[in-house]
Amino acid sequence: MFRSPKSTFALVLFACLAPGVCYAQGYQIGTAATAVEIAGWDIDIRPDGKGLPAGSGNAVNGEETYETFCASCHGVFGEGEGRWPVLTGGEGTLADDRPVKTVGSYWPYASTLFDYIRRAMPFNAPMSLNDQQVYDTTAYVLYMNDIIEEDFELSQDNLAHVEMPNQGGFYVDNRPDVANPRCMVNCADPDSMMMQSSLAGVTPIGHFVEGADAPAASHSGQDELEASKEAERKAAITGEELVAPVAQEATAMSDQAMAGEATYKAACGVCHTSGLAGAPKVDDADAWSERIQQGTDLLIIHALQGYAGAEGYMPAKGGRADLSDEAVTNAVLFMVESQQ
Amino acid sequence: MNTPSTQQLLQTMQDASGHLTTNDRRNFLRRGVSYVAGAAALGGVSVTSASGLTSNLPPNEPQWGRQLGTGVVENPYGFPSRHEAQVVRRTVPWLTAESISSISMSPIQDLKGIITPNGLVFERYHAGVPDINPDEHRLMIHGLVDNPLIFTMEDLMRFPSVSEIKFIECPANGGMEWRGPQMEALQFTHGMLSCCEWTGVPLKVLLDAAGVQTEGKWILAEGADGAHMSRSIPIEKILDDTLVVYAQNGEMLRPEQGYPLRLLNPGWEGNTSIKWLRRIEVGDQPWHHREETSKYTDLMADGRARRFTFVQECNSVITNPCPENPIRSKGFLEIEGIAWTGRGKIKGVDISFDGGISWRPAQLKGLVLDKALTRFSLHSQWQGEPWLIQSRAYDETGYVQPTLAQLRDQRGVNSIYHKNSIHTWQVGPTGEVKNVQIT
Repeated sequence: MFRSPKSTFALVLFACLAPGVCYAQGYQIGTAATAVEIAGWDIDIRPDGKGLPAGSGNAVNGEETYETFCASCHGVFGEGEGRWPVLTGGEGTLADDRPVKTVGSYWPYASTLFDYIRRAMPFNAPMSLNDQQVYDTTAYVLYMNDIIEEDFELSQDNLAHVEMPNQGGFYVDNRPDVANPRCMVNCADPDSMMMQSSLAGVTPIGHFVEGADAPAASHSGQDELEASKEAERKAAITGEELVAPVAQEATAMSDQAMAGEATYKAACGVCHTSGLAGAPKVDDADAWSERIQQGTDLLIIHALQGYAGAEGYMPAKGGRADLSDEAVTNAVLFMVESQQ
Repeated sequence: MNTPSTQQLLQTMQDASGHLTTNDRRNFLRRGVSYVAGAAALGGVSVTSASGLTSNLPPNEPQWGRQLGTGVVENPYGFPSRHEAQVVRRTVPWLTAESISSISMSPIQDLKGIITPNGLVFERYHAGVPDINPDEHRLMIHGLVDNPLIFTMEDLMRFPSVSEIKFIECPANGGMEWRGPQMEALQFTHGMLSCCEWTGVPLKVLLDAAGVQTEGKWILAEGADGAHMSRSIPIEKILDDTLVVYAQNGEMLRPEQGYPLRLLNPGWEGNTSIKWLRRIEVGDQPWHHREETSKYTDLMADGRARRFTFVQECNSVITNPCPENPIRSKGFLEIEGIAWTGRGKIKGVDISFDGGISWRPAQLKGLVLDKALTRFSLHSQWQGEPWLIQSRAYDETGYVQPTLAQLRDQRGVNSIYHKNSIHTWQVGPTGEVKNVQIT
């Protein structure tokens, strides 16, 4: 297409429009990409299987990988935690009033699942899984959606042949799909017009409406709001008295803790700001005081090596195997010292 | 302007929804002037400053005229006045699980002209903003090309540059309101929208350098961020107007906007303009990746879904008045707003005061550019009457912005994306403005 006479002519003309030099041969800018360089970055997978790496995997092995790296957000059964994406269920709901769009009910190609897990998951550690883990996890998510059997060996050769339930459910954009005439008078019948007003209390409008019954304006604020509502709900059931958090003066952090803040934000905060997977929230002093009593060293060991407790699960280094022990240690100190 | 039947309608609506126009009369603008005070001003009461002090007002010499200000390079990179601190991006936290994969909205209620300042361009990240060293950033072009190439930033900036003013809009703009109105502010109903002057190189120039093979019909564009955000783009778009850009509004891209390099597909849904662009692969078919199957596909009422819904169709909204900008004075009122279309230029905008029963043309003002925000204006008078005010844009293809009822008839209410219907503000007797829907 770019080698058509017209296109070449346009380029030459364009290049010669600049006074001085005319590059009839083009610009000669850039360097050749080597096969090795391309192989390192060429991560994409297509529905026909192009791009899949050699190898295979299955749901039996995928279960552990999934529970280690995925379940904290997507739920042990793919049901989704909080507002994180639901992966399973929803079959037959796409035409319902409230459709549930999941891998099983909506995604048209299995290749998309492999591609996306490899390029973007786990959320806090993208590109950290090896091909074997990606095959296993892909197989497990397909298995949870009843698309393949538990012992099906998903491979470079057969992934493109896995048929997804909603593969035929898509068609190419056919807009414009409405034609509104540019009417100027008597364009609507007043007798049949209906007016609906906005729901109050769902928009963060505190910045221009004083005293508005508005939700929080930030994600951390929203988390706090939901946590306090949850605490109220539980207190109403248990009869326990709600203790308002006591504001304390911030004390200076150690250099190590301050150095850990960046790691906390990039790696730990996904779970430790929201309490995902039972993670103690950084602003939940009670949850931390119990843990700090066990000694900071033990917390660091748990963070480095992983830990499974009654309330949740902490993968080694939070799933970020690439982090140094020092970075993880500093991030733990940041969270611990944030309690003081 | 209003026919008797329209007046009746408005009265009926006022009566039927009395709580709408009264429930927030207690509201005061943080700027310090209440609606009531604004009304009092009409009666000849002199206007005082928001702080209530008069020492800086005539006939007194203001305090800042009796002393020195700060010197040059006090702020080597300047900031807006501290009195503009309310003009910021905002988010609706419950829309997303957390802030790293989330969206914020531009304060379009406060913006003038058609250019969005760099610090106020709406944000959409799928894995947060990466911190990229431009010396270590590369753009790779490979696939169905004769000469796979790698460009440094220095390489890319050697190509002849082009600068174009284009809007970028998230296809989910307005998407919270398919079922009914629920956002009480313009920033949240329409703020996933910005417009900048972008500088870079046409992608077709780079692809020419690589030599696209005849089977090459699509490209995959991919980001260097943790999401490695990827979209398939048909080659026709690239031949038309796709740019690889490194600057916005005269300076290098902001990190939030893809520093040091992003794609720009003018007029198309924003997510196709891949940020932190690191790789272009040429292929013979689309890739059907997550952001073009699971997301950014439009689910119709029958349970089937449209894919590759690239273009942002003709749309408009009134920015003055709006919920954040209530009418503060009776008398002259410039009704202003913005219109845009992904199919070319805005041809015109009509305004209705009666919920769409009758319309009159507004004026386009300032620059009217291809796939750019276009400002419209109608000089009017307001004497306290209730309005159901709407704007309706049409573009050079003849497409007229549709009603919500027309869109729902075609699509149902579950498509999330591409809701470009005529928007209604209800102006109450004290000048307050509410978001409502007329069907």
